[in-house]
Amino acid sequence: MRRWHIFTRGLVKENAVLILMIGLCPALAVSGTVRDAFGMGLAATFVLFFSNVIIALIRKSVPNEVRIPIFILIISTFVTMIDYFMQAFQPDLYRALGVFVPLIVVNCMILGRAEAFASKNSVINAALDGLGVGIGFTLALTIMGSIREILGNGTFLGTTVFGEAFRKTPVIFMILSPGAFLVIGILKALINKYVKKE
Amino acid sequence: MTSAKQMIVTLFIVALVCSIVLSFVYSFTSPRIANTQSELTLAGLKEVSAAQEFVEIIPDTLWRALDSSGNCSGIVFRVFPQGYGGPIPITVGIDLDGKITGIRIASAAEGMKETPGLGAKITEKDFIEQFKGKEASEVPLKKDGGEIDAITAATISSRAVCDGIKTGIEKYTSYLGAVPNKVNVFPAAQEFVEIVKEKLWYALSDTDTLGIVFISSAQGYSNCITFMVGVDNDGEITGVEIVYSNETPGIGDKIREREFLDKFTEGMPEAITGATISSKALIEAVKNDIELYQEYLK
Repeated sequence: MRRWHIFTRGLVKENAVLILMIGLCPALAVSGTVRDAFGMGLAATFVLFFSNVIIALIRKSVPNEVRIPIFILIISTFVTMIDYFMQAFQPDLYRALGVFVPLIVVNCMILGRAEAFASKNSVINAALDGLGVGIGFTLALTIMGSIREILGNGTFLGTTVFGEAFRKTPVIFMILSPGAFLVIGILKALINKYVKKE
Repeated sequence: MTSAKQMIVTLFIVALVCSIVLSFVYSFTSPRIANTQSELTLAGLKEVSAAQEFVEIIPDTLWRALDSSGNCSGIVFRVFPQGYGGPIPITVGIDLDGKITGIRIASAAEGMKETPGLGAKITEKDFIEQFKGKEASEVPLKKDGGEIDAITAATISSRAVCDGIKTGIEKYTSYLGAVPNKVNVFPAAQEFVEIVKEKLWYALSDTDTLGIVFISSAQGYSNCITFMVGVDNDGEITGVEIVYSNETPGIGDKIREREFLDKFTEGMPEAITGATISSKALIEAVKNDIELYQEYLK
């Protein structure tokens, strides 16, 4: 049961973006379309999962004084890997995400989980935590991306939703930067009202 | 308190392992990355030009377009004019007359940063199609004296596209070469009738067919040399002009000299000393092409 709790905690109750308000930079910047948001979420989940596992694996042999540089090294290795993979297999997505792929290195959500959880827990728990937080992040971004793409571009994953008339004159505002702040604000307000904190 | 030695050793090992892992991933993905890149580039080039093959002249910036028989049919280049939100990546194809065969503006996913719904409309068909068949002088917006309709509420982006294309054409036209007047290679003719588009013409005087004029190309020392030749019905050369050549200035470039070109009219010239490769290539190609077009001569 405790393991299940570790996994689900990151999904809603301690959702990085919507509850803890960390990892906001990519959440605001690349949630313009569902595809970008989902791709960003998956990339971050990949990095989070593997860096958590590796850090938990070597946690006992890492001297306390140099733990941060070591965590950053491991995280940036996985980020560079996902960067290469994306360039090779998803070049369009890679170009759309642009600088936000390398910036996963400095996403405080990932270093935060490494420091606060993976460096103090077993490999299995760290893996579950990484997966939970990553999926929670992906969920938050995908929800934001859906709202912004549907209202701001009249499409969902590129397919027109409300008919051609709306597609031609959508609420452009939503796909621009202010739309990101509005959507995250409304989502945060809804969550504050309906989800009770532990 | 951990000893300094232990910290250094641990950091060293972690860094070493990380770099080894990364170098494996890199060696595995890099050919694939290069491949995807070149596929994407080729697809982009084909969108703006009907040519079969593209020879890169300046990496990632300028290509010569070759048709199915390997002759130059134009060039394709890329420009990145500054728009409202950032540089706009544009690919432009132009034919031998300097007319635009097509343009392609990168989508938002490919790095075009104009405002969605406003400046981003430059990627829409209505705007892009306007450029087809235009020359550099016609490219500016209507309000700037050209022939392009700007997108409403997106003048900055529209103007950036036009300026970028115009500058690009002016910059790269030298790679194309202005096509000389056909009379230069066939002074006796009064009229020319096109047989093969932009390639082969009958030279006519009043009613008689005097011979043919054709444009062809040869592989020179540094690049392909494009030339125009006039041949009369007896198979005698009436004139040769260089349409385009990017041979080394002062060396291969000597093939442009009048003295050398005029010798074609008195039978085949000797190769130029110091420019053997370029001049031989030209002489051979002229010979072969005259044989090739023999059937058009009466």
